[in-house]
Amino acid sequence: MSTAMTFGTKSFTPRPPDKGAFPLDHFGECKGFKEKFMKCLRENSFENALCRQESKEYLECRMERQLMAKEPLEKLGFKDLIDEKSEAEHNKL
Amino acid sequence: MEPVKDRIIKVTFNADVHASLHWNFRPQQTEIYVVPGETALAFYKAKNSTDKPVIGISTYNVVPFEAGQYFNKIQCFCFEEQRLNPQEEVDMPVFFFIDPEFAEDPRMAKVDLITLSYTFFEAKGGHKLPLPGYQK
Repeated sequence: MSTAMTFGTKSFTPRPPDKGAFPLDHFGECKGFKEKFMKCLRENSFENALCRQESKEYLECRMERQLMAKEPLEKLGFKDLIDEKSEAEHNKL
Repeated sequence: MEPVKDRIIKVTFNADVHASLHWNFRPQQTEIYVVPGETALAFYKAKNSTDKPVIGISTYNVVPFEAGQYFNKIQCFCFEEQRLNPQEEVDMPVFFFIDPEFAEDPRMAKVDLITLSYTFFEAKGGHKLPLPGYQK
């Protein structure tokens, strides 16, 4: 059967997330960080790039409460925020 | 992975439930603007509006279809059973990025809108989750 998919193109099949599912935050332990992030989005026309600090804090909250496997933040795309932070601390010294 | 800062993509969010699942399930933002190579966070919210615990399981879809191969979910709430107690409401995050190779694909040159849709089903023991698209 000849279709648009038969010429070696990568096809889309829904696939499970790389790191599996987030455990549910049944007790809303990280809700505050979520609210902070959502507020940032609303105030910044939903531009993700401007709210990455808040998203990082939400994920850190989850990691601290076993609601997410601990992972170096550089590996989750936050390398630039970590570098900025350590540069600022270095300049303080 | 480096962000491709000059390719802004609007990601919009849909939420659906299968008719037999009495959950209130919706996205917490209508849209988010991202660039390929930049990790992004978005939220859905689900409430079990019944008086019994219910286990749901979700799958997702991406349109345009061809953009789906570049949509990478680092972590989300899909493909695993999620149990909500009676009247319980939870935040459901999706942590994702669009592969930087998206920006190199000439077929994606005119794509600046991607829609992510999640659908929740009631999980029944032993049921295999039907995956849309071509079955292998």
